[in-house]
Amino acid sequence: MNAIPQLFFDAMSLGGIYAMAALGIALIFGVMKLVNFAHGEYIAFCVFALIVPSTDAVAVMFLGKAPAFVLIPTLLCVGALVAVGSEFFVFRHMRKATPVAMMISSFALGFVIQNTLLLIYSSRPKAISLWPELNMPIDLIGASIPLLQIIVILTTLIVVVTLALLLKKTRIGLEMRAAAENFTMARLLGVRANVVITGAFALSGALAAAVALIMVTQTGVADVRMGGQIMLVAFIATVIGGLGSLPGAVAAGFLIGAASVILQGFLPLEARPFRDAFLYTLVIVSLLLRPDGLFASNSTKPRV
Amino acid sequence: MSKLGVYDVAVRYGKVPALSDVSFSVEEGERVFISGPNGAGKSSLLKAICGAVPTSHGRIEVDGDVLNGRSPEAIARLGLTMVPEGREIFGTLTVEENLRVGTGIRRDKSAIETDIDEVYQNFSILGERRHANAGALSGGQQQMLAIGRGLMTNPKLMLVDEPSLGLAPNIVDQVYETLVNLQKDRGLTLIIVEQSSARAARVGGRMVLLRGGNVVGDGDAAKFAESDLLKEAYFGQDKSEVPS
Repeated sequence: MNAIPQLFFDAMSLGGIYAMAALGIALIFGVMKLVNFAHGEYIAFCVFALIVPSTDAVAVMFLGKAPAFVLIPTLLCVGALVAVGSEFFVFRHMRKATPVAMMISSFALGFVIQNTLLLIYSSRPKAISLWPELNMPIDLIGASIPLLQIIVILTTLIVVVTLALLLKKTRIGLEMRAAAENFTMARLLGVRANVVITGAFALSGALAAAVALIMVTQTGVADVRMGGQIMLVAFIATVIGGLGSLPGAVAAGFLIGAASVILQGFLPLEARPFRDAFLYTLVIVSLLLRPDGLFASNSTKPRV
Repeated sequence: MSKLGVYDVAVRYGKVPALSDVSFSVEEGERVFISGPNGAGKSSLLKAICGAVPTSHGRIEVDGDVLNGRSPEAIARLGLTMVPEGREIFGTLTVEENLRVGTGIRRDKSAIETDIDEVYQNFSILGERRHANAGALSGGQQQMLAIGRGLMTNPKLMLVDEPSLGLAPNIVDQVYETLVNLQKDRGLTLIIVEQSSARAARVGGRMVLLRGGNVVGDGDAAKFAESDLLKEAYFGQDKSEVPS
């Protein structure tokens, strides 16, 4: 077996998941200066939307029974709706609050979603078998790669390209970029704050749903706590990428994924259980060297 | 009915009053300079009109529509646009994208392209650099872009806050020449915050003089330049304090 291509595909697919989760956070931070810690819970919510609500140990497929061409768009809409709903019921009322107050309320919202899931589905992790055929390995340039990894990498590429086109070529995209740079000025030019913010939340929620689909196919588990770990990594990626920078979030997501896989592959056996300690040491080093993030933009300041 | 009516308007930042009992009205097609020393409340007045800061008292009307309590984006839809202090252009967007941000409120979508061409005709440097990031423009070019961006909302009333700030004198001349020509061509109503009363007198128009958050004078800018009122506004009422 060839280890290098294997590592490459591992790194790209893990990085892709991180990049998509980081994008979801960076999008909202861009327009609202809100670090939405409930994002991980959007992911968990989408996973549980796949199964019938019950506290039984055995999961019965609900939305998960639908064919892919129905399931995928529906779940993306579920994610978008959860995110838009949380904006409507929580964050909209905090527009004038400080960023810290908004962040705290996002924690609170996260706990509400998590505990609601606990109440309905119980805390036991449940096995879900969604598209198990995707975990079948296929042979590619001398490595044995699960088909899912290829799909994850392609999905990430499609998501990133679609988002880039949306931001670059559409009216709402233009308004989002303008609002991300200077919200007040955008509003003075008639850009509707509610439209832009709702749009950002919808996109962010759809991204959460995409991450949820990938995670559940990969791990085969639904767990109410599953959003926490990925949210942490995604948040770190947005910080390393330069808060608010979308290309930065994507690049940093891939970087963290790659670093994680490489450490896993090359650390001495006895050090591997401490992989995350090494990973976060790299994060600290990166922030010491570039406190504003690797891709902080410096072109936003007006010249006099 | 006046184009713009400001009645007993007060603005405060926390407990600090910035404007109190400010009243004046502006007729359609007029050019009005808002002048006065630092801290007189000039920028606060403009921000209150365009909805960027709330009023704590009083009423502002455009064409008889009350603006108080409306969002900035709703006010922009009434045909009022703001060219703010410091330009506030979108540095990460291209020049052309900057121009297009404000076109979302227009109903005459077909006229947008011809209007963009018109902006490029008026400001040829913007046309040459239409695909460049706006953050890379010089200060004078950014001021032109900010004016062009405001025009793209197809306004009837344009507020311009300190257009001369940080610009070389010959560039300031150009900016004013452009503003005067635009006003002639489009029948715009212009309200300009200008610290230099000499500049206001030279360009010509009406002047509303603010001091300490109050209107202390209102009349022809050229006549103001010669009067004592201006010195009083800048240096205090006791004329003995004014250096001769």
